[in-house]
This record gives sequence, structure tokens and C-alpha cells, in this order.
Amino acid sequence: MEIKVKNEGQVCEVYLNGRLDLASGTNLKEELKKIFDQDKNMIHLNLNDVEFINSSGLGSLVSIMKEVRLRKGRLTLSNLASYVKEIFEITQLSHIFEIYETQEEALSSYQSVTAN
Amino acid sequence: MNDLVERIGELLSKLQSSDYLEREEAVEELGNYDTDEAVAGLVIAIEDPNSGIRELAAEHLSKMKGDTAPKLLIHFLGNDDITARNLAAEVLVKIGSRSVPYLIEQIDVDDYDVRKFIVDTLGLIKDENSVDALCQKLWDENINVVCSAAEALGEVGSPKAIDALVAVFEKIEDVQPQALEALGKIGDTRALEHLYRFIETDDPIIQYAGIEAIGNIGSSSSMEVLSKYLNDGDESVSELALMAIINISNNTDGNIDFDIPLDKFSKFLFNGVKEKDPEITSFTINRLKSWFGHDVIYNLIDVLDSVDEDNQKLIIESLGQVGGTASTMLISKFKESSVEIKNIILEIIKQFIDENIARKLIGFVDDEDPGIRQKLAHMIGSSYLPEALPVLKKMAGDEIGHVRSAAYAALGWLCTENEVEFLVKGLDDKFVDVREAAAGAMIMIGTEAVVEKFRKLLFDGNTEKQRISALSLGMIGDSTVVQPLIEAINHPEEEIRRSSIISLARIGDERAIEPIAVALNDESKAVRKSAINSLVILQRQECVPKIKFLLDDEDLWIRYHTINVIGDFRNNEFSEYVLPYLNDEQDVIRIATMKALSKMGCREAMSTIDQFANDSNKDIVDAAHQAITVLDGEK
Repeated sequence: MEIKVKNEGQVCEVYLNGRLDLASGTNLKEELKKIFDQDKNMIHLNLNDVEFINSSGLGSLVSIMKEVRLRKGRLTLSNLASYVKEIFEITQLSHIFEIYETQEEALSSYQSVTAN
Repeated sequence: MNDLVERIGELLSKLQSSDYLEREEAVEELGNYDTDEAVAGLVIAIEDPNSGIRELAAEHLSKMKGDTAPKLLIHFLGNDDITARNLAAEVLVKIGSRSVPYLIEQIDVDDYDVRKFIVDTLGLIKDENSVDALCQKLWDENINVVCSAAEALGEVGSPKAIDALVAVFEKIEDVQPQALEALGKIGDTRALEHLYRFIETDDPIIQYAGIEAIGNIGSSSSMEVLSKYLNDGDESVSELALMAIINISNNTDGNIDFDIPLDKFSKFLFNGVKEKDPEITSFTINRLKSWFGHDVIYNLIDVLDSVDEDNQKLIIESLGQVGGTASTMLISKFKESSVEIKNIILEIIKQFIDENIARKLIGFVDDEDPGIRQKLAHMIGSSYLPEALPVLKKMAGDEIGHVRSAAYAALGWLCTENEVEFLVKGLDDKFVDVREAAAGAMIMIGTEAVVEKFRKLLFDGNTEKQRISALSLGMIGDSTVVQPLIEAINHPEEEIRRSSIISLARIGDERAIEPIAVALNDESKAVRKSAINSLVILQRQECVPKIKFLLDDEDLWIRYHTINVIGDFRNNEFSEYVLPYLNDEQDVIRIATMKALSKMGCREAMSTIDQFANDSNKDIVDAAHQAITVLDGEK
């Protein structure tokens, strides 16, 4: 899986491309650890190019969510492909994760909270 | 003309009739004639004993052009019949500016009641031309007339009256409240310096009216003066000063550049919000950006159901900003709250859920509202609190399906490997969302024990369990599920075979290629089609030799699909497989073949495709033209 990180503003944008499974999930956690080490705790994951996700991939996302919570931060997801949406529905993880249709919507949600 | 005069004469006589209908018809008809005689008739009718006729006459009079109506109606203002007098005044107000000169003409009549009535009427007309006359009446010998003149000047709202109102304020004590109110209504900042002076008094009535007037003028320059009164010992004065500040703040988009002792006024402000006062609500919610504290949080919870949806969202966001402290306080209010507020509280707390909050929420899992129980199950599960396990297991037996569903899903988030046997029970639930939630929980756990469970269930007698097992194995999606899914390619149920093939393609394990190739011969068209697509995903072009025999499949649509799939590789090496189908007896196959060959760049097919350009079927002709265009483009 390809992981691109755009760590410029207040929210760190992470773009995932490929399959999110055990191996790539571990890589993702390591990549995010580097971000956390920079005291960043607002993460947006763009899943637009994630074609496949399995139990282990979900487990990685859940563990990232736990880490974000510990750091009193925020994690948002966007651009879920229909299969990824399906797996989020059946596991009801959509109740835990903040999921947006588009990245723009997700990022603007950070702005509105900041503005207030 | 004579006829008209004669007719109006007849109508005027009918106004004296004892027959109500006859009088009504006369008034109705007189309304059509805009002549002095007709107007005079209508004026007479406003004294008619019947109220319906009087109203009808007044309605017609208010629409009449010319000055006859106001000229005549003005005399009714001194009428002893209060009904006729009020009706005349009402018509004069409706006529508006045209009445003003006639009212001013009579403004000095002897009867002070009539003078007052004229002044009141001028106030209702709100015409700037009456300002001078009204200013004169500020010095009338009768105090009622004076007070009415001050009020009327406030209604007219002209800054021309400021000096006169200030002067009368200083000379006549009895008119002071009205003069102050008028200055406020005029809303001109030139009055402010006077008002600042006037409110420095011990007379509370003058202070109230002055502060209110300053607020109504709405200038931010008054803030400093008003802020002094925020600390006044008299609560009414300080609250009035705050109300004036609120008016100014709302006038200036909420910008205030000094601190207001908000805690002192929290009762006043939140009562205003509760009573749905839009000014106070807007001001209070604007202050939430910088106003925190226990009282505020409790008050915000109290007013949540008094405000509209937009303000509710703002309050929730504000509470969210407070963070975990708000959560603890919100939880303490939870039990006594309405279902609506409980929902809002949970929505806020959701952002801060941790083990401590989850422990407190466990105390509410027996809430009588199933929607709340469902939310609680999700929230407790999302805390990953180990003690949540027995609670969620209990909730998985709730009488309401949605609650059971949430509880099963939450058990999955806790990733409790030892609970697989418990979760399997959920697959027998009567509701599909509960069954799928139990499966979802098992997917989250995804261990070999779970895979083994689903593997067995795939061949369980229950078709629903078979469906869920195939779906779940695909979603677990690691190497441990490949073998069970390969076994499922031979499942008796068509849907299981199909979904297993799709899952295997997604997982992308090469062990699946040969079993899927076998499925190309499946009796089911849907399975064969899935097998083609899956092989394309798994093998790309290498699958073509395996699928090419389906070009002769018994099913037209499988043949069609296979041609399309091969064409999509855009490899001319495969054109030999497809070329023969240019002469297929089915038009749809010939069309697909032309398209596929053009994608492959097969120029050898051009002469044959050319012949189709004259076919009797328009779709064939179109496809031929498109294929030739593509092939020509490649030359």
C-alpha cells in the first residue's frame, strides 16, 4: 500500500492507495506514529484509492482511533469505496469513526470547530 | 352626468332606509363613484347603526382619491359616538399623508380630548410633515396632549424633533418618560449625549426609560456608559443596562470589546433563552465562545429544548469545546433529562468517550428508551472498556432488535476472542440487522477460530447462515479464509458460489485461480460471469486462454460479456479469438465484436466491418462506423 502524508496545516492529511490489510495496516500505524511524535493529533485519512480492506485493516484503523483518542485528537475518514462502506456498515464502525463523503467536507468540519 | 347625479341622489336617500340590505347596497354602489357627493354619502354611512355597513363605508372611503374624505372625516374626531370617531380616525390613518394638513388645521381645537386624538392620529400616520405641529403640541396646556405629542414624535421618528424633546424633558417632568422613549425610537445618535446626562438621576423611572432609549439607538459608543450600570445595586437597572447592551450587540453583529460580568446575569440570560427571546438568545449563544463554568453548562443543558435547531447545534458545539469536564456534568444531568436531551447529551459525550465516561454510562443501560439503549451500547463499546463485556452481553439479549444489534457490534469492537461462541448465537436472531451485527463482530475478531466457525456454517443447513458466512469470510479477507472460500465454489447454493468467487478475487490469492477457472463451467450464468470477472482481476491477460471457450457459451449474455472482457485488454494478439464472431447470427454479438476488435486495433477486420456500414439494422451501422473511426484513427 502506498501512504502519502501531507503534514502542512493543522490537520494532517494521509492518502492511502491499495489494499489495507495486516501488513499495510502495520505500515500505516508506523507512519502515523511519526505524525503523533510531532505532537499532531488531528488526522484525516483519505481512503479514495483503497480498493480492499479486511479484518486486520479494520483492526489497524481501530487501533489508530484509540491512539488519537488518547492524544485527545480527532480522526476523520473520507471517500470510502462502496466495498469499504459495506464492511464499515456490517461492523457498525460507522458509529465510531467520523466518516465524510468527501475530503473537503471532512476538512471543513475541522474549520467550523476551530472557528467556534 | 345628470343621470349620475340623480343616481347618487337615489343612493343617498336609500342610506336613510330602514332596510339593512337596501342601505348596504347603496354603500356598495357609492363606493364605485369617486365624486364629492358619493364620498359625503359614505361619510354619513360611517354613523350607520349597523357595524357591517359602517365598516364597508370606511373601507370605500380609505380608497377614495381626492381630499373630500379627509376634509369631512376630520369633523368626526370630535364626535360623541366613539365608534364613529375611531372609525374616522382609522380611515384617516389609512388615507395617510393626505389627511395630515386637515389634522394639523384642527390641532388647536378647544376640546383637549380632540386635540389629543388628532395628535395620536398623526403619530399613527408617521408623516414627517407633522413634526413641527407635533413639536408645538409639546407645549400644550393639557399634559395628556403633551404626552401624546411626545409619543407621536417617537412614532414619526424624525431627528428634527430631538431638540424639542430634550427641551420639553428639561421643563416638564410629567412628560419625561415619553420624551425619553421618543428619543430612543427616533434612534439618532445626536440624542445620546442628552440621554447620558438624563440617566444620571435617582429617579428609577427616568433611569429605566433612558437606558432603554440608549439601547434602542443601538450605538456601540454607548457601551462604556451602559457598562457602569451593569454593576448598579438595583437589579432592574443593571438588567436593563444589559438589555440595552444586548440590543447594541445584536445591532453590531455581536461585537463587544469589553468584558461583561456574564456570571452575574446568567439567570437573566438563560431565562430569556428559555422564554425564547430572540435578542437574548442570540446574544447569549454568541457569548459561549468565551463563557465557561459549571453554571453555564447546567444552564445550557436546561435551555437545550427551548432553542431552535441551529442554536441547539451551536450549544452542542460549545459544550463540545469545554471537553471532558462538560461530559462529567452532562452525565450527572442524564437521568432526569428528556429523551431528546439525553440524545443530545450522548452526542456531545461521544466526542470524549473514554473508560471513565463509559463506566458512568453503564449505569444507564436500562434506560426505558430503546434508542438511548442502542446509543449507549455503541458508546460503551467504543470505549474498549473490559468491564463493558458483561454489560454488552446482557444488552445483546434486549427485547428490541436495534439494541441487540448495537450490542453485538460493540462486542466486536472489544475484540473478545473468547466470546465467539456467544456471538455465533446472534446469527440465529430473527432480525437480519442483528444477525449481520453478530457476523460483523466476528469479522472484527477475525481469528482462525472465527474462520473455522464460518467454514462449518457455510455447509450448515440454514441458507441464511450460509450467506452470512460467505460474506463474512470474504470480509475477514486474509489467507486463512482462502481454503474455505475455495470449498464454497462448489456450494449447492448459487449465491454462495458467486459471492465466494468475488471474495476470492478481492483477496487476490493465486490459489483461487484454478478453482475459479473450473467455475467458468458452472451451471449458473451469474456464477460464470463472476468467474470471468474474478479471473480478470486475478490474472489479467493470462486468463484469456482460460475464458475464451465461453465465447461459445450457451447463454448469449455470457458470450457478449466475454467478448467485452477480451476487448478491454486492447491486445491484438487476442483478435483471432474474437474475429469469427463478426459473423454471429446475433446482432448484439456482432456489435460487441466490432467494438472489441476496434479496441484491439485489429485492422484485418476492417473490410468485414466495412460491409456492415450498409446493414439494415441502424445499431449495426452505427457500431461499424464507430469501429472504423477508431481503427482509422490508429493508422
